[in-house]
Amino acid sequence: MMWKAPTILVGIVLLLLALGIVMLASASSVKGGDAHKDPQYFLRRQLLFLSAALIAGVAASSLDYHWWQKWWVPITLLAIGVLVIVLIPHIGSKIGGSRRWLKLGPVSVQPSEFAKFAVVVALGAWIAKAGNKMGTFREGILKPGLLLVAMLGLVFLEPDFGTTILLASVGGVILYVGGSPPLWLGIGAFTGLCGFALAVLKDPVRMGRILAFLMPDKYPAAAYQLGQSEDAFTLGGVWGVGLGESIQKHFYLPEAHTDFILAIVGEELGLIATTIVLLLFAGLFICGMMISFRAPDTFGRLLGFGLTLMIVVQAAINVGVVTGCLPTKGLPLPFISYGGSSLVVSMVNIGVLINIARQGLEAGADRSIGIRDRARWL
Amino acid sequence: MTEARRTTRYIWVAVLLCIALAGLVVRLVFLHVAIQDAGRTRTVKTRTYRETLTVPRGRILDGSPSANILAANIGVKDVWVDPAPLLASNRLSSVAGQLARVLHLDEAELSTRLNTTNRHFAYVQRFVPQEKAAELARMKLPSVYFSDSMTRHYPQGQNLCHVLGFVNHDGVGSSGIEQGMESYLKGIPGLRESRLDGRRREMYDRRIREIAPREGADVVLTIDQNLQYMLEKALDATVERHHAKAAMAIIQHVKTGEILAMASRPGFDPNQFRAAGDLQKLNRAIGYVYEPGSTFKVAVIAAALDQGIVKPENVFDCENGRWLYQNKILRDYHAYGRLDVADILKKSSNIGAAKIAILMGDRQLESSLRSFMIGRRLGIDLPGEEGGILRPVAQWTAISSSRVAIGQGVAVTALQMLGVICGIANDGQIMRPYVVKEVVSANGTVLMRQVPQVLSRPIRPETAVLMRKLLARVTEEGGTGAKACVEGFTVAGKTGTAQKVVAGRYSESDYMASFAGFLPAEAPEIGMIIVVDEPQPLHTGGLVAAPVFSEIAEQAVRYLGLMPASPEQTAMYYAGRANRP
Repeated sequence: MMWKAPTILVGIVLLLLALGIVMLASASSVKGGDAHKDPQYFLRRQLLFLSAALIAGVAASSLDYHWWQKWWVPITLLAIGVLVIVLIPHIGSKIGGSRRWLKLGPVSVQPSEFAKFAVVVALGAWIAKAGNKMGTFREGILKPGLLLVAMLGLVFLEPDFGTTILLASVGGVILYVGGSPPLWLGIGAFTGLCGFALAVLKDPVRMGRILAFLMPDKYPAAAYQLGQSEDAFTLGGVWGVGLGESIQKHFYLPEAHTDFILAIVGEELGLIATTIVLLLFAGLFICGMMISFRAPDTFGRLLGFGLTLMIVVQAAINVGVVTGCLPTKGLPLPFISYGGSSLVVSMVNIGVLINIARQGLEAGADRSIGIRDRARWL
Repeated sequence: MTEARRTTRYIWVAVLLCIALAGLVVRLVFLHVAIQDAGRTRTVKTRTYRETLTVPRGRILDGSPSANILAANIGVKDVWVDPAPLLASNRLSSVAGQLARVLHLDEAELSTRLNTTNRHFAYVQRFVPQEKAAELARMKLPSVYFSDSMTRHYPQGQNLCHVLGFVNHDGVGSSGIEQGMESYLKGIPGLRESRLDGRRREMYDRRIREIAPREGADVVLTIDQNLQYMLEKALDATVERHHAKAAMAIIQHVKTGEILAMASRPGFDPNQFRAAGDLQKLNRAIGYVYEPGSTFKVAVIAAALDQGIVKPENVFDCENGRWLYQNKILRDYHAYGRLDVADILKKSSNIGAAKIAILMGDRQLESSLRSFMIGRRLGIDLPGEEGGILRPVAQWTAISSSRVAIGQGVAVTALQMLGVICGIANDGQIMRPYVVKEVVSANGTVLMRQVPQVLSRPIRPETAVLMRKLLARVTEEGGTGAKACVEGFTVAGKTGTAQKVVAGRYSESDYMASFAGFLPAEAPEIGMIIVVDEPQPLHTGGLVAAPVFSEIAEQAVRYLGLMPASPEQTAMYYAGRANRP
């Protein structure tokens, strides 16, 4: 049975990518034609990113995941380094009030996407190293907590609240599963939430988004995007208005090709397609959990768990935002939204998951024997 | 930390996330399906727009071969503002000031007008010329918008104003041809239903339906722009020279009833129709009734001759200019002793004409006049025609026939009087007058073509020939209309000098001077009537109206290429032409 999990995982990812490319072609055509005089502008670029992402994914699947464990310190430092660099004026590109992009020649990369991967690697490696000391305050909370807070803080400063929340929740869950004392974890999470709430109160843009979310009638301007998104789903109905027939993408729904692409999926292909998308992510989650569960060692298990969670939680937050269940953040829908960094990192995540699966235990194997002695796949 | 505890924590996380995903599916079902109908209809409605496609109004062209444009459309802009954001940002007065400066409006008035509204739309000015609108657009004033509009333009200004009429600010023809031919001119507006994108622009590939508009058809008049110009100029000069209150004139093609020119004074400029009062807008030639005076004797004597009651050579005693009949005194302008019927017409003796009418009898006189279309509308294709007044015979008094005979106690329009004259010129057939020759659609199809139509046959052709001879004597030496003559042509016609009724009595100072006639008398082509209202100090038809007739007719025959009837006349015609300065 277990050999099937990575196969299904690959199938799910390919389905999501296929749907994503088709929907991107539709959703981005208006914006592309308007902003770049080329309806296929975003499609061409995304196809380029997709090739790079596929190569990166295959490479990652061929690379023994223990490599990441071995190099976790440099990886973490590198992530922190680029997060610092992107904050330096004139180096990080400022788009829409946020410094999220680093220009590397013709392409811009998002360091926060890399940080998502690095956080999982770092925490996984730390927990594996700490072993039974994870139950202590010093090793289980303080040290990994400081590491997490350092990265969160940098992402928060960009500012990129969506990724901050994603990193915080996934990081917290990894620590929880890794054995951190729940009481201290709870206290830490509460403190972090208070700090976050304070920061939001001081930021009119984010505050506006929260208020618009809570009281859409009183803040019609800020609630506009959300309203347009909900309208898109309503227009789509069960079967959708037909591929390419969306009205909302014609400047009604901002970010139709990035964060809000699911609304266009819902409008053009209906409830059927949006449900399938959610089911695919649920399937991805189950596959990821199975792979993680059968990982040969603690690091592999936490790595697989964290990477799966990173993708699925991001998807859940995105869907929550698009359907009006959560205040507006800036998180793309993995595999479907436009964006190179996100796509490449997501595919690397999947690649690493597959590598973990290849080294995984047979179903029903005795998990108590020493896992470090197990022959490596490579 | 045991393996089992870690596994429990795993499962907790997995369950929570699965619940979250399930919750999202529920939310999606709700959004997609539950709020379906009402929400969808509302959303679709805000993304749909419906537009009436207006079409340019048809043109009005003259009947000359060059088809001169008498009324056309020009594209202009309507300037409007959305006052709400201006009020909110306190910029209303500065914007209003700049608008007022460019458009020459009263700044205070504009500010108040824009200030009192809490709507999102208020016209600043409509029908602004393109250059002005472009100047405003360059100023990039906030909340100031421009929309395309059309306005009617009349290149000839005042000329032919009463016939053309004008189009009101809602684009509806409100007088003259513009009103009468509205259904042809306005065209059929189309409809477009389409989708709008988020920037409120039409999405061409999502057009729901489009019903193409049908352009307004062109109306071609029988009026000849050049004849019209001659008539207008002559009328202007006459009004000025004789200090007249008003004047009217019509030129009609005798055989068909086509109106070749029609003018009234006072006039107005249809491009600024709002500045004109009702008196200026009145098309007097068809809409103003007056007592015709002596020109009316034509109808009475023609009827008497036609019915064999008198012959031209019958002699009547004209009582030396003063005749007491039924206790009322009737006077002649000049005193005459005995005159035959031909001279009664030539010298315009009131007493003679009255005696002829009395001979006819009331009943016969009334029915004859009615067959001359007196008291009835001729049905010209222009709005505002009056039918004149001819009381039924039952209401007549003992002296009525003697007064009707000289054009008193009866009222006509200039068009009716010309109809009588042209009926005589046209072998006793009164034609329906018309100004619209044809209507041609934008693609060139003729939608309507007017055909000449006989309204009535009041006299026999032989009588008409006889009358033409008698009327030709009026313009001879010694006739009242001698000044109406045209070199080389025989002009037939009749003068009229009618006292106007002022405060219930015939005035001794206010007259209606007229001349109605046609030429060439031998083979009539064009008929013309000139009526001058209250000329001072000269006031007789022979002195005021006849010279105008002559002046216009002389130009008209040359313009129309009419040839004299006899070789001697032809010689005179060319001689006269050579003598012209």
